[in-house]
Amino acid sequence: MAHTLTTCMFCGVGCGVYLETSGNRVVGAYPSVSHPANQGRICLRGWHVHEVADSQDRLKAPLIKKKGKLQEVSWDEAFGFIAQRLSEIRQQHGPDSIAFLNSPRCSNEESYLFQKFARSVIGTNNVHHGTGVYSNNSINVLSEMIGVPASTNSIRELDSAEAIIVDGVDLVRRMPTLAGAVIRARVNGAKLIVVGTRRHRVAENADIFVQIRPNTEAMLYGAMAKIIVDRGLMNLGFIRQRCADYEPFLAELQYYDLLTTAEVCGAAPELIEKAALAYAAAKSAALLYSTSMEERSKDSIRAVVNLALLTGNLGKKGSGVFALTEQNNLQGVCDMGMLPDRLPGYQLVSDPGARARFEKIWGTKLPASAGSGARTVFSGNGVNKVKALWLLRYDPISTAFRDVASSLRRYEFIVVQHLFMTESAQHADVILPTSAFGEEQVSFTSTERRIQLAEKVVDPPAGLTPAWDQIGHIARLMGAQWEYGSAAEVMDEICEAVPLYGGANYANLAREYGRQWPCTKDRPLGTPFLFEENGNGHRFHFAAVSKPAGTTLPKEFPQILVFGHSLYYWNLNVLIRHSETLRREYRALWLDYPDGFVEINDEDAKRLGIRDGQKIRLSAASGSATAPARVTAEVMPGTVYIPYFMHELERQVFRAAPNDSNLVAGRIEKEAA
Amino acid sequence: MKGRILDRGDVLKIVDLLRADGYEVIAPFHGRGRDTFFDKVTDENRSRLEIHLPNPYYPPKRYVFPHIERLLKVHKSNGDLRIEPTCYRPKRALFGIRSCDVAGIYHLDRFFLGKEFADIYYEDRRKNLFLVNVVCTDTQRDIGEECFCVCTDTGPAARDHFDLQLMDLGEEFMVVAGTSAGEALLSNPLFRKGTEAHIEKRRQILDAVRKRFKPDTTSWFTATVRYVSQEKVLEKTWEEIGKRCVECGGCTYVCPACTCFTVSDRQAGPNEIERVRTWDACALGGFTRMAGGFNPRRAVHDRRNRRFFRKLAHYFIQRELSMACVGCGRCAAVCHGDIGMPSVVEMIRKATEEVAPNERVSH
Amino acid sequence: MSASATENVYLPNVAVLDRVVTEIPEVKTFYWHFEDAAAQKRFRKFRPGQFAEVSLFGTGEFPTSLPPSPTEDETFFTVRKVGSCTNALHELKPGDKFAVRGPYGNGFPMHEYYGRNLVFVAGGIGLIPLRSAIVYALKNRDKYRRIQIFHGAKTPGELMYVPDLGEWGKSPGVECYLTVDRADKNWTGNVGVVGSLFKKPGVQVPVESTIAFVCGPPIMFRFVIKDLLAMGFRERHIVSTLERYMKCGVGKCGHCCIGVAYVCVDGPVFTYEQIQRLGEDI
Repeated sequence: MAHTLTTCMFCGVGCGVYLETSGNRVVGAYPSVSHPANQGRICLRGWHVHEVADSQDRLKAPLIKKKGKLQEVSWDEAFGFIAQRLSEIRQQHGPDSIAFLNSPRCSNEESYLFQKFARSVIGTNNVHHGTGVYSNNSINVLSEMIGVPASTNSIRELDSAEAIIVDGVDLVRRMPTLAGAVIRARVNGAKLIVVGTRRHRVAENADIFVQIRPNTEAMLYGAMAKIIVDRGLMNLGFIRQRCADYEPFLAELQYYDLLTTAEVCGAAPELIEKAALAYAAAKSAALLYSTSMEERSKDSIRAVVNLALLTGNLGKKGSGVFALTEQNNLQGVCDMGMLPDRLPGYQLVSDPGARARFEKIWGTKLPASAGSGARTVFSGNGVNKVKALWLLRYDPISTAFRDVASSLRRYEFIVVQHLFMTESAQHADVILPTSAFGEEQVSFTSTERRIQLAEKVVDPPAGLTPAWDQIGHIARLMGAQWEYGSAAEVMDEICEAVPLYGGANYANLAREYGRQWPCTKDRPLGTPFLFEENGNGHRFHFAAVSKPAGTTLPKEFPQILVFGHSLYYWNLNVLIRHSETLRREYRALWLDYPDGFVEINDEDAKRLGIRDGQKIRLSAASGSATAPARVTAEVMPGTVYIPYFMHELERQVFRAAPNDSNLVAGRIEKEAA
Repeated sequence: MKGRILDRGDVLKIVDLLRADGYEVIAPFHGRGRDTFFDKVTDENRSRLEIHLPNPYYPPKRYVFPHIERLLKVHKSNGDLRIEPTCYRPKRALFGIRSCDVAGIYHLDRFFLGKEFADIYYEDRRKNLFLVNVVCTDTQRDIGEECFCVCTDTGPAARDHFDLQLMDLGEEFMVVAGTSAGEALLSNPLFRKGTEAHIEKRRQILDAVRKRFKPDTTSWFTATVRYVSQEKVLEKTWEEIGKRCVECGGCTYVCPACTCFTVSDRQAGPNEIERVRTWDACALGGFTRMAGGFNPRRAVHDRRNRRFFRKLAHYFIQRELSMACVGCGRCAAVCHGDIGMPSVVEMIRKATEEVAPNERVSH
Repeated sequence: MSASATENVYLPNVAVLDRVVTEIPEVKTFYWHFEDAAAQKRFRKFRPGQFAEVSLFGTGEFPTSLPPSPTEDETFFTVRKVGSCTNALHELKPGDKFAVRGPYGNGFPMHEYYGRNLVFVAGGIGLIPLRSAIVYALKNRDKYRRIQIFHGAKTPGELMYVPDLGEWGKSPGVECYLTVDRADKNWTGNVGVVGSLFKKPGVQVPVESTIAFVCGPPIMFRFVIKDLLAMGFRERHIVSTLERYMKCGVGKCGHCCIGVAYVCVDGPVFTYEQIQRLGEDI
């Protein structure tokens, strides 16, 4: 028996958990009391992480598709085949005919080597983490306005926030430990303001719940800013000393007014006012929004940051902007440059100076134009351009894209690295099974910028190696001089390449509970919250956000259909199936609604005479479809929530029309039996 | 019960005696920071043994009722089934188990062995388990913020159900045997007879330790047991508690007296299936959901209040002959929404007394 | 390994499927026997109203009531397809092996009912858990006074155990009444809910010294109880069997605990008086 402190692999909170092992099996898991992110708590997933880690039902040998069937082959054959096919395809169609997609649950080391492989060995910027198609908006806005695309403060500091705004994300379902931190802060006296469309568990705990129509956040925050300015509650000292572009921001702000906002958002004006005053009155206030999976306009994020700047809620303990990365390593995957337009450390590929730095470190010439992201790769045009796809621990079919399965049939060559035979893996030409959580030492970076180690506690099944090692093997076969003896050595290179990670070598990470970046050579202990240094250091920028035009719904389509991406993410995740309790809890929805469901508000349902489970028809201008209704008070009246796995419904509603927006005006009615 | 005195410097020799006697000895060790955990004592870690340290959150109940445990292995071949039950009977000692956890194991004994059906997997693990209880005397290190054993009458010093009990008297330890197995150990020349002065010292220390706990909680606890038993707790209060629950299951997993489990089959090889049982939690939506969709406890507060009813209602205390709460405080430490037992007791007391002030207990 | 005095209550015995009979859509009866004759003999001591745990290895285990009476020779289950385990059972063919443990639960105290009238009221597959008691009572006909069976289903095709019902109706001193919610063209009997049978001309339900057995879907259960109480039945003279999600069957896993009772060991048979005190949705 042995107990090892490691990092949970499910969500972006990055809880410290101990794994208990007996022989070569993981037999238990429990939270660390001392870990600053979770302080003795973990969620249901964490309590069952050992069952997932101990799953015996794994891919154990490499497979190559021969005559349409996946067959076991030797490692050498698999590696050789990949190197040969990638070379051929690059030769024939050019480097940009190959795309590299990974999951935001991959480690820093494998993400770093994956994009390095794409950029330096193949010569393409077609690299992306597949899940967070919208996180680029957050990265770009935060980079523009505060210069750092990440949460500014630590989870633990929510204790000392006097007010907390939770925007949109259903924390109990998505990041339960963070939900707990928010609920406890509320119990201990913080004002909890929840903004969003759904009445989720955290909203039920709110002092002020501003339930708003989907995608009206920019309007709401603009109106709140206007109230704060009108009452003179802004922090002028902070603004004068540390912010730029205040005037243009004010110039746009004057067009906002409370009553129009209330109308557009569908919230009572008194409630909006109350929320604004509570936020402004707090000596320290935190604002949490999710960066990753739901569509989120740049303006709505600008409005969030404007509010924080206006009230001086940056650079202090407990007051900041939490740009939540929901998956365990979405932050790290972005930090490592799994972005089509940014190199590791967020430098733009278009910046010749940045390229020159990496060309020196990597010893090759790098492509200068931005690559294609996941969304483009899977779109009609993308499929025509991209011939080969490498999916690293990524199962796009079970995530948010429509019709990925049919796209996957059209690529010439697909490489999959994964633990399990996922739906996407069925389409692969080569599958490399990898070692799993608990079988390899790697690092993850949590939503509070905490770079921390996930430890090796058992040996992988015979023959299985870490994904980063497999990538290195193929790179060498393709002529690269890569020599990494361990993940720690990969991190040593990351320390050189990414200044924010400069001091994050494994020896340092192992000392306490990881380190929060910036963790530089001269500041190796890391940075719990950003911008502490006063005045002269950092300059923030307000962003002028024009008042959004309120949309009116056409008479025949009075409801808003919301095509969501994140809410039921875990319910379909492949890992969940490997624990009895998790499978039971997450599968219950499918047992109750075997044909899927769309969610409608209970009062709407009553008015339309719709019972739970009953089939309803959804119509939009572009098409219509039927689905069973899940009647719930969580959904806002007048909205219909369509989970991402209702692919067929989405196809029928949109038909040929592009669904670039996640919202569409529609109508629901009872479907005749 | 037989008591003896031992020099402070000799107290860890009990571990050596047990190991020499063939026991696998489990004891609490320090992890990172304030973290502690129970682990097997080896030659390598023997020097890191400590008497006073925070009680590990991952409870020692898993040595009799593991987090995950195989019940059966089933081999399939040519349509035949061969079922092989798992048999595991370690000779094991738990050194340094606190009084609350001793009470927890006693509760599990009542539940798993003392009813219509005895649980053989529990019995196998329990049969040769030797319990060395350490009385919580170090108010800094032994007793946590959340401890409330004085309310559940389980500590700081267990009265029975241990094999051996150690209490720190300063330069010496008092060692009490609770079973004949414990007494047998006391025949070793390490131990000597105690005096009246030792007993007096023990009393003084315990009095001082008891003062470490908040004074009012004991009577609140009693009142809450009555409110819950008489179903006087308002629906509103249960809802308030329910909405703070994030349904992590932690409170039941760490609870020394929680017994619920689920059973599942998993593939262990091409023709081999293992049937395992794992800890389960009544707060979870799937706990009572039946095939076909009917769920008698759909709302979160129905499930949440279930736990407190199960723990505090008189019916269950009578049925199991012991209360399913031992005052260890783990549920409070592990709870995301601060609705562990002490907070709930407080919430129920406050809310119920507002409605029915004459219910207030005098003390 | 030394022999232990404690029996392993979680250890099932291998059973062999003999034949399968389709009762109604999605509901089949599975006739089976234990591989081991001694296990068969032990199991055959079951009482009406008890249940067993059935293992489909790789899928899991589920509880199911025992419809045969101990007075019958064959051992069988009647099971509706509702989840993964019952699906797996439905896929078995004669000769296939699975495993069974039990019998469990309190069962109906049939000897306490000696000298009384017995009224069985079953909605749909609610007849499955009552079948054992009905057959037992008919076999011990002299111990009981009047016996009435009321059975209703949605459609004539969903009436349970139709051949049995025909036979029972022919037994001396047994009245058998059927009803359906929706008739088809061949149906000449009563149309309406089960309770409507109580008020039919010619039907006289004895109330004094009568035990009413009621099983069926929740909504039927509530209405029948209302009717019976209105007729003057005492709550303690109405009995039913409860179903709950269950893992162990022996009072340990905690899933079936309602209020203060464990359905698996304190039930599954409860009087309506007890059910009311449990305080949970039925």
